[in-house]
Parts: sequence; structure tokens; C-alpha cells
Amino acid sequence: MTAGEIVETADVEAVRAATQVGDPRSELERLRDRVAELEANLVELSARSNAAVAEAQAQTYWLERWHVDLNELMRRPGAEELRIVLRAVRSVGRSVRRLKRRLRS
Amino acid sequence: MKSACAVIPVKDGERYLDELLAALAGEGFDEILVIDSGSRDRSTDLARAAGARVIEIGPHEFGHGRTRNLGAEQTTAELICFLTQDATPCAGWLAAYREAFTLDPRVGAAYGPHLPRPDTSPMIARELTEFFSGFAPDGRPRVQRAGDPTFLANVNAAYDRGCWSELRFRDVAYAEDQAFGADLLAAGWTKVYHPAAAVLHAHDYGPTEFMRRYFDEYRGLRETTGHIESFDAVAALAAVRDGVRGDRRWLAEHGVTGLERARWLGRSGVHHAGRRVFAALGSRASALPAPLERRVSLEGRASVGSPRSGSGPVASPTTAPQPTPVAPRSRENDYALIEEVWRSGTVQLLDPVPGTADRERLRIAMILPPFSRGSGGHNTLMQILTRLEQRGHICSVWVHDFLGVHRDVWPAVLRSELREFFAPFEGPVYKGFDRWQGADVLIATGWQTVHPALRLDQCRARVYVVNDHEPEFYATSTERALASDTYRHGLHCIAASPWLRDILVEYYAASADAFQLGVAHDIYVPRPVRRRRDTVVYYARHSTARRAVPIGLMALAELHRRRPNVRIVLFGTQTTLDTSFPYHRLGVLTPEQLSWLYSESTVGLCLSLTNFSLMPKEMLACGLPCVELSGVSAESIFGPDGPLELAPLNPALIADALERLLDDRELWERRSTDGIAFVASHTWDHAADEVEAGMRHALALREAAAL
Repeated sequence: MTAGEIVETADVEAVRAATQVGDPRSELERLRDRVAELEANLVELSARSNAAVAEAQAQTYWLERWHVDLNELMRRPGAEELRIVLRAVRSVGRSVRRLKRRLRS
Repeated sequence: MKSACAVIPVKDGERYLDELLAALAGEGFDEILVIDSGSRDRSTDLARAAGARVIEIGPHEFGHGRTRNLGAEQTTAELICFLTQDATPCAGWLAAYREAFTLDPRVGAAYGPHLPRPDTSPMIARELTEFFSGFAPDGRPRVQRAGDPTFLANVNAAYDRGCWSELRFRDVAYAEDQAFGADLLAAGWTKVYHPAAAVLHAHDYGPTEFMRRYFDEYRGLRETTGHIESFDAVAALAAVRDGVRGDRRWLAEHGVTGLERARWLGRSGVHHAGRRVFAALGSRASALPAPLERRVSLEGRASVGSPRSGSGPVASPTTAPQPTPVAPRSRENDYALIEEVWRSGTVQLLDPVPGTADRERLRIAMILPPFSRGSGGHNTLMQILTRLEQRGHICSVWVHDFLGVHRDVWPAVLRSELREFFAPFEGPVYKGFDRWQGADVLIATGWQTVHPALRLDQCRARVYVVNDHEPEFYATSTERALASDTYRHGLHCIAASPWLRDILVEYYAASADAFQLGVAHDIYVPRPVRRRRDTVVYYARHSTARRAVPIGLMALAELHRRRPNVRIVLFGTQTTLDTSFPYHRLGVLTPEQLSWLYSESTVGLCLSLTNFSLMPKEMLACGLPCVELSGVSAESIFGPDGPLELAPLNPALIADALERLLDDRELWERRSTDGIAFVASHTWDHAADEVEAGMRHALALREAAAL
């Protein structure tokens, strides 16, 4: 289940819970269960977002170590042009490799 | 149109006064007032002949601020224009000032440029031109507000009567105008520089007089604004070089060539060098003997109100001391968060949800103070938090860098360092609280982390893991008072010993639980090395005052007197301490190195005047009996006759305890065996159990309070 699905399910359940009327005791029990369920959803969402942030931090360690903000870097004049040139060079490289493979086969 | 008056203080000013008054006649003033302070030339006659009102005062009554206040009091016009006796207004002067006061609703004063007279030296002419053009590079009037230059000069200035009435000139010996400029901006008024409000003016002094005048000017600046002109020989030489270059350019632009140019350049070098020296000297005039100061000063006076030893009795002041106004700065003060808690109070906790205290997984956020490698407190916190995380709790760390230690360190690097220095924490690490998301349990740690914790929202409970009684880290001070105060904000405390818990309950009426510090048993074990019979190891971290190192060193000196052959090893500091006994130094060691040291030594010595630390437990875990202080926290954990050898805070008695363990083999064996057995159960897992129980207790207390 994705984070979005968890939230969506919670909303639907909340509407259902709010519209159902019955025995006050069972109503109370149901509301308690509902709160527990929402709390569990919150915990699950927190766990996932924590894991995502921690993973991102592990991946960006060297960038942060060297104070490199790639977004900021790419906003500099010439950065986009450099990226296009690099893409072109890679494209040529790929073509050459592909051609080599064809010739070998 | 606002009415306007001109006020001109005069003394022997006939050289330019006629020209000045003639220029004023064409400007359309409502009043012209000349205040003469004892002229012996024709000044008063010239003034009266020009139709000005003349007030005569004695020379001793004159004061730059005082006399101008008198002039303002003796006139009634809405605009008060001040000139000096050698400043001749250019055509359109008053019209420019009238315009200046329409440029902003809060204009309190205006001033204009001082143009050089034809015979002014090139150095001064260039300086005046460049200085004033800097205020309005585009040649248009400029409104100046708080944060802009405070410059204002009564050689050529105009004031709104309301502003003058509110602030008045300070009764200072010099630079009353500069002081008024600062006061005006600090009080929320604005001022205007108008390039068209120009006067012809120059102080035409010889080289020596120029230097003496700079001496007076910078002495006056020091007395009124506190400015101290710095002096650095290399920088001064560079400034002289630049000054001469600028003058050479100016001379070339104005067609001065040949011998005339060479002569001026020589004078330029003397001028700029003398200026640097005498400006710096003037800033420090109060350090000179009074007779010398009078000789150097062009005004022939000594510093005002600056008593100096050996300079004779100091004259009583005739006015109240004048404070220097200081404009607010945008930078937050060091106690901004604490101030916020006092001003806005604590952010309410979320309503408790029944069952949270027993829920399997909690969202836990821990605030950490700045850290460095080897910090025992951070190690404790991270060992525990990592274990809580391993049990399924959702944990995050929030570094509150109130000291700016990690100013240039980004969060991912902080996370990596926490993992490298302390424990393999898997969660995210945040720097500051911009991305705060809320938590079931928010954990404050050092006392400085409590105030941010009180201001964070979306929390079900706040707890305070108290590693030590931190008020005792400080002498009587703000820090001590604030640290004490943190125990009174209703955070449920989880203290790092029963002794500490009892203090929190007894003295601060806090709700508190306790936990036992753990030992890393995978590192601190008896190592396969022959145990020496003659070695005392001492944790001599003298930079930590609570370690009572001077007393420990006295005890070791006493031990050395009694037993010169005992080998003494000091560790825990990179500093070589001066002692009366010989010793071996080991510096700061890694945990592995420590475990080998403890396994080889005979007796350990580790003192703490506050809460018990990890070190004695680690010594015991390696089978090393240890001497600690009695009557403090250690006794609450180990008991009066447990594995530790306890001694009062007395060097001779500590030496006795060390001797007992060195001499009594049976006692040593018992302490060593008991120590290993005692700390076997003191694990970080157990500490995490206790802290988790404390957090659940905090949540349960909230639920109970809601019922």
C-alpha cells in the first residue's frame, strides 16, 4: 500500500464512521478503533518518510560534504549548455558502442 | 513654505563673515542670528551691519552643542540652518534645504556638500569632492535612514525644529553634529543629503596644524561615538600610497605640472601619513599625559572626563553623562529562543490519545546539542536512541546548533558523523527545526535543548533525558539560572542515575525516572595482557571542572610521596599537566585503547563532583578496581561498600584508598571480581529499556491527567 492509498483509505473510513449511528458504547469502541487505526497510519507514514529522508541523506553525503547544491549549480550560466554537450557526447559514445557491437556480431 | 532661520556661531571670523552674510541676504531667511563668543576683531560689527541679530557670550561659555542649542532656543523658525563662520552658502542653498524637508515625512535634518575654495590644497579639495559625491553618486538628493551613514556636519546643515526639540545637541566638546546624526537615525527620523545645498568651505591649515586638527577630530569622535581609529603600519602605508596616487591624478586633471606638482606630491605624502598617525593617536588621546595632549591638540585642551592616573585631580562634570544611542541590530541574541519561551510561553501538547503509552511503535524525536567526537553524553544518547530505533520506534535526530559549531556542516554530514562517532543510527538527522513534523515523544537532552523543545508543536509528550545536573557546571550566572529553570517546565525527566533523579524530584519538584548508563561490553572486557602491580591510571581531563583534577593531582602527589615507585599514568587530555610528581602521559585514547590500558593497570582513579560517568563502569568491566568520591552519585549506584573504593574529597584520604588497593591483594581481587559481576547487567539495551519505560511513563501521565 502506498502512502497516498493509506491517506485515501483513512478519509473514506472517517466519512463512514461519521455517518454511522448506533449503540453509543459500540460507537465509542468503533471510534477508538478508528483513532488507533489512524495513529497506526500516521506511524507508518512517518516511518516511510523517515526512511526516505535517511536514504536521501546517505546518498547525498558527498554532495553535502563538499557543499554542492546541484540545483544551484545548474542555475548558473552555461550549466544547461554544458549538460546538453555532455548528453550529446554520451549519445555519440553510445552510438559508437552500438556500432561496434553490430560489427562484431 | 516653512519659515527658516540661520544661526552662525562666531569668534574672530571676519575673514569670511562679510561674504557669508551677503550670501545669506539673497536666500530669503526670516531670521539671522550670530552668536559671538568673545571676538576681538570686527565680527560683531559686520554682523550687525548686515542686519543679523547678535548675541554675545563669554569664550568660556562656548560649547559646540551648547551654543547651537542656545541659537535654536533664541529663534522660532521651523527650519534652523547652521553655518560656521567660514562657510559661504552657494546660490539656491536655502531652496535646496526647503526641498530636502519635503522628501520624506520624517526628515529631521539635512546637509549639503562642502566645496573647496580656490586656494584649498589639492589633498583637501580632492577629499571633500570625493567624500560628498559618495553620498549621492547620481547627483540627486538622497534620504538616509537607520543603517545609513550617520554623518552630519554643522558647517552646513539644517534641522527641523521638532526634531531638534526632541533630541537637542549633546553638550560635548566636539562632534555634536555626528552625535546628533546617530541619535536622529536611532530615534526613527531620517536625514537628507542635498547636493545643491552647497557651501564654500575649507580649513586651510599648514601640515602641522592639519595633523593637530585630525588629532582633535578623532579624539572628539572617540568621546562622542566611541569610534577608535585602528592603526596598522602596513595598511597605513598602503593608504598613504593610495592617497598620493589619488592626489597625483587630481593634480593631473587640474593641470598642475612640473615643480608645482612635485611640491604638492611631497606635501601629499606628509599629509596622508600624518593623518593616519594623528587620527589613531587622537582616538587614544586619553592615554597620553594631559600636558602632552594639550600641546598636540589644536584646541589646546585635554580629554573630557577621562581620568588618568598621575594627571592630577579630575574636574567635576558640569552636566549629566551623555549616553551613546545604539540602533537595534537585526541579529538574534544568544538567548533568542529562551526569550521566545518567556514572551510567548510553551506550545501546547496535542491531546493525549488513549493507548499511546502502550503502543508498540512510537514516533520519537530527539534534540541534540552540538557534538564532537568522544562526547560521553552524546554517546549515551545515541546508544539509547539507536536501540530504540532497532526496536521499531520511528526515530529522528534534530541538532540544535546554538553555538554555531556545525555552521558549515550540512545535515547529511551531521548524520554521517553521528554514525561514525557514536552509533549506527539509521534515521534522518535534521539541522534546526524548519522541517519539524511532530512526534509522540519529543526528547530534550542538554539544558539548551529544552527551550526549542517547548516551542515545537504537534507533540504528545515532552521528556528530558538528563545526563547530569548541569546548573553545577556554572558559577553563579545567567547560564546557571537558566539551566536550573529547565527542570521546572513540566518535562518528564529521565535521569542518568538515581542520585540525579532524586535531585530533580527533591529540588525542582519534577516528575522523574532514572536509567543506568550502559557499558559497551564488546569493547570493555579484560584483555589478555599481564596486569601490572604498580600502576595507577587517572582520568585527568582538567578542562572539565567537575572532574576535580587539582584534587586528584594532590592525591597522586601524596601517593608519590608515600610510594615513589608507583607508576602514575594520566590520560584524557592532550595537555601536559604541571605536577610535583613524575608521571606518564597517554593523551586522549580510543575505547579499544582504554580497554587495554584498564586491563593492564592496577588501580583506576576517576573523580566526578556531579553525576557519575561511564568511565568507572568501563574500568570495572575490564577488571580494574576504581577509586571514586563518596557522598556523591557513585554511592547511589554501587552502594557504600560495592565494587568501587570510595573516598571523601580529601587528597590524603583518596591516597589512602589508592594505597589500600595497591597493598591489599584480597581487597583488590574482591573489588575486581565484584566490579565485573556488577556491571555485567549494565548494558545499553538495559538503559534503552529504562528510557523507553520513562517515555511511556510520560505518555501515561498525560493520559492520566486528561482523565
